[in-house]
Amino acid sequence: MTFDQHLVLWLLGLPLLAAVVIASLGPQRGILIRRISVGVSLLSLAMALLLAVRFANLERAGLHDTGSTSVLPGTFAPEFVPGSTVASPHSTNWTILSLGPGSIHFYLGVDGLSIWLIVLTALLLLPCVLVSWTHVTERVNEFYAWLMILQVCMIGVFLSFDILLFYVFFEVSLVPLFFMIGIWGGPERQYAARKFFVYTLTGSMLTLLGMLWVVLACHQQTKVLTFSIPQLVQLVQSQLADPTTRPFWSTVQLGVFLLLTAGFAIKVPLMPFHTWLPLAHVEAPTAGSVALAGVLLKVGAYGFLRLCIPLAPDVSLSLGLPLLTGLAAAGVIYGAFTAFAQDDIKRLVAYSSVSHLGLCMLGMFSLTAVGLSGSLMQMINHGLSTGLLFLLVGMLYERYHTRKISDFGGMATRMPLYACCLVFTCLSSVGLPGLNGFVGEVMCIFGIARHEWSIAGRFPILAVAACTGLILGAWYLFTMLRGVLFGPVKEPEHHGHAIPDMLPREWAAVAPLALVCVLIGFYPQPILRTMEPDVQTVARITSLARTRASEQANAEGTSVAVQDETEKR
Amino acid sequence: MNPLTTESILHSFPLIIPEALLCLVACVLFLGGTFRPGRHLWGSVAFLALVVAQIVVSTTPPRAFASSEAARSALFSAPIWLDSYGVLIKTLALVGGMILVLLSWNEIDDHHAPEYHGCLLTIIAGLCFTAGANDLVTLFLALELISIPTYVLLYLPRVEATAQEAALKYFLLSIFSSALLLFGFSYLYGLSGTTNLHGIIDAVAGQDLLEARVVPGTLIVAVFMVVAGLGFKITAVPFHYYAADVYQGTTTPCAALLAYVPKVAGFVALVRVLGFLPYNLGAERGFGPMATSQVSMLLWILAAVTMTTGNILALWQTNLKRLLAYSSVAHAGYMLIGLAVAPHINFRTGPTALIRAGSVDAILFYLAAYGAMTIGAFAVLACLSSRERPVEEIKDLEGLSRSNPGIALLLALFLFSLLGMPLTAGFWGKALLFLSAFMVESDPTALDGGSVARWFRILAIIGAINAAIAGYYYLRVIAAMYLLEPRPGEKPLPRPKLSPALVAVFACAAITLLLGVIPSLLSNRAQKAAEGKVPVATLPVEQQQAER
Repeated sequence: MTFDQHLVLWLLGLPLLAAVVIASLGPQRGILIRRISVGVSLLSLAMALLLAVRFANLERAGLHDTGSTSVLPGTFAPEFVPGSTVASPHSTNWTILSLGPGSIHFYLGVDGLSIWLIVLTALLLLPCVLVSWTHVTERVNEFYAWLMILQVCMIGVFLSFDILLFYVFFEVSLVPLFFMIGIWGGPERQYAARKFFVYTLTGSMLTLLGMLWVVLACHQQTKVLTFSIPQLVQLVQSQLADPTTRPFWSTVQLGVFLLLTAGFAIKVPLMPFHTWLPLAHVEAPTAGSVALAGVLLKVGAYGFLRLCIPLAPDVSLSLGLPLLTGLAAAGVIYGAFTAFAQDDIKRLVAYSSVSHLGLCMLGMFSLTAVGLSGSLMQMINHGLSTGLLFLLVGMLYERYHTRKISDFGGMATRMPLYACCLVFTCLSSVGLPGLNGFVGEVMCIFGIARHEWSIAGRFPILAVAACTGLILGAWYLFTMLRGVLFGPVKEPEHHGHAIPDMLPREWAAVAPLALVCVLIGFYPQPILRTMEPDVQTVARITSLARTRASEQANAEGTSVAVQDETEKR
Repeated sequence: MNPLTTESILHSFPLIIPEALLCLVACVLFLGGTFRPGRHLWGSVAFLALVVAQIVVSTTPPRAFASSEAARSALFSAPIWLDSYGVLIKTLALVGGMILVLLSWNEIDDHHAPEYHGCLLTIIAGLCFTAGANDLVTLFLALELISIPTYVLLYLPRVEATAQEAALKYFLLSIFSSALLLFGFSYLYGLSGTTNLHGIIDAVAGQDLLEARVVPGTLIVAVFMVVAGLGFKITAVPFHYYAADVYQGTTTPCAALLAYVPKVAGFVALVRVLGFLPYNLGAERGFGPMATSQVSMLLWILAAVTMTTGNILALWQTNLKRLLAYSSVAHAGYMLIGLAVAPHINFRTGPTALIRAGSVDAILFYLAAYGAMTIGAFAVLACLSSRERPVEEIKDLEGLSRSNPGIALLLALFLFSLLGMPLTAGFWGKALLFLSAFMVESDPTALDGGSVARWFRILAIIGAINAAIAGYYYLRVIAAMYLLEPRPGEKPLPRPKLSPALVAVFACAAITLLLGVIPSLLSNRAQKAAEGKVPVATLPVEQQQAER
């Protein structure tokens, strides 16, 4: 095995090992546990960064010829696959379960869609550990063990290239978060934890069926039984290119799209399925909120990008585009207005997530290359800025034990450095040019606008909704800032303790994220460049779907026209 | 009598050595118990007997036939037919038996121990017998060998009114179900003129009948009665009423036994009688006659109703044993998916079938997974419960993760497995069953290929939604253990000492995790077994005859 393959394995193995060690240390040895956790998170961040750098410098042969005019688009080509051979560097032979001719593989790898999300996941672990330093005092070993297991699951989702392995990580991630919300959460924690679990379980069970369906449909048509995502994507594309099998695939695609969407839409969450989110966010401990908002919600959007669009491109275009962009646009506006109405800052941030992820889905389901890149960018940016917001809210709560905007006022004079951080984060979240949020948002809006202008004579209502969402975002975040930081000083009761400004530990949690925000804002090219080939793969899949759809429309149009002609005669 | 037939009957005797051994040891227990009480002595004897039987089962090589004609003759005349599916079921029975012996070890007082373990061995012998039964008479005998000692077991340990009620309820309903089963068997005999299972399958499966795709009314009645009679054993829905009351009334080990043994027996019997397990003699392959859309529809409805009812009734339970009882009803529903799918899968899979995974092997995998997780959950309750501080209700478990972190983690593992979380055996069980439901479509030449496929996809979706409903009540138990503090003023549950019951818990946990992480350990064997390949010697026939 090469060094990179070891890195991929250890990204999973290290937190898992840490979880076992931490759990067995017992609840008394808090200091040691926290130190181990910091060490592990620094180490996994280093590994993820190293992996990203090595991936970015990789010459990815055969993927850059996006201008080629072959009938079939390429498929995902994961790099650094453990268990691969020289002959087939993009696949593995590590089998979990064999089913006759095919098997479920332990198929890990990295490609442009996932690498930055992996870095994001690793980056967010350190703040999660640091912010729980004094917040979590009971059952310390369990807390950090669950945090590490959550880390394993989230990185696992992004690393998997076997559809069932993806599902395994996707589903298991519910367990640690259930315990984190349920044990260390707020007063309504039990209800929140159970609602979160059952809600997402319902969706993901249906997702499992969707995955099985597409696998078996491929098997029926091509006699190849495979669970590998790249191979499935390739099979589906080759089948769709063949007009004789289209009627069969139109049914399959519809079913697969609906079943996969059931799970992913709840996870994102799209608008009517979002009700678990504010509850879970408000009740979760800060680390849980950061992990939930920062990474776990991206798993839903990533699922759409990785599975739903490539495996059901035609239905994604014909049904997904109007349905999901509609829901997403409604979510953008609804989330923003609901966020504005909140008095609890955490709840406000939770609803702002609904709004921001609506924008992300809007960009994705514009099904244009720029929109897809933008939505991937938006996923990363949302992880950074919402993660930061939750961290800062958590720090405020730890000091005053309240999160109500109406309890605060003029905090900028009490904690000037904290105020700077909060203002900075809000600016990043509303998309100030020069900070990270701007890049993703603009690309998402470009994507959706390009889609809408391509339909002649249509008012770009979705693009307008997306822009409105941005303006509303500035509105509710700045209203919150005005209420909390500025105006006459109003400090909640804090029982005589001196309230410190930002502590060194808190700086350590916030600073790396803030730094990355600035870096992405000024120079997003490295990220965009590395994700480009794989985004192009998805984009080509969607553009072929567009071609098919227009061909079909033309064919029907001519037949209708001919019919009209004959009727006239 | 045909010499081949006589030979095949004679050849049946070596096949029941493990069962004979268990029954013999049971007799020793019954007799010896009158001279000397002692739960450690008799428990060890029973455990040892099961281990020896397991060794015999796993070391006996499959009988190779001289020619496919000899194999066919044996198939159609022998009362016992041991294929690799049967061997796997026997292994499930014996391993389950060992865990049950360990679980009951300290629950029984010294005086009752020999009788208790004797009955347990007889029940396990009956289950092994069911696995190999190839004749209606042997099958019925095997099933009664399970039922009758169960009545004794239910009466043995307790004298309270609830236990009496449980035993009586089980007794009466069990007798009733046996009567239904016999009624069905009599029709099958009348239709075919033979009691041999393969004979029946061949007789009713006349080629014209299959082509016409109609089933005579009498066959429908027969199948209906058989399914009803066995439905009691697997707690399928209209026959599930006894489960909650009986489980609640009896001791925890008995409840574990009732949740496991009759279910395995019932599913094996259904697979055998309905002919869902084809035999495979080279190119020739036998199929069940009942594998028609009517039977499949019956099982479809039974599956949907069973899982939904089980899960919905479980939502309101506060008693742990009742909750597990309804959960076992729901799990029977999931396994019935596999049974309902079987006709549509087995009919199309020729020897060149691309996917070996089918429904019958998915059922086998699920039975193993279900056994590990359900017996494990009951075993945890048995470990925690004591006379001073019984664990009956969910609220008795509140704050368990604080007082007993280890055991709480194990119970959580079993519950997550029952829920179908990945990395546990329960997930692969469900995944394989759902996979089989989606596989119906995979061949357009299948019986009623197109429209039936849609129905099975709907069944899988019903199953998925049910799994989510089940999440709610399993989580209630987990939430009580992990999210709630121990109630003030109440003494926390004592930490269980290392006892045989705790070993049983560990064994179940090991199986649950092992099958969850490396499912191919069992699934590969199950798939091979489901092919029903009959070993036919490659030696030339003349040489065989010369040797004889």
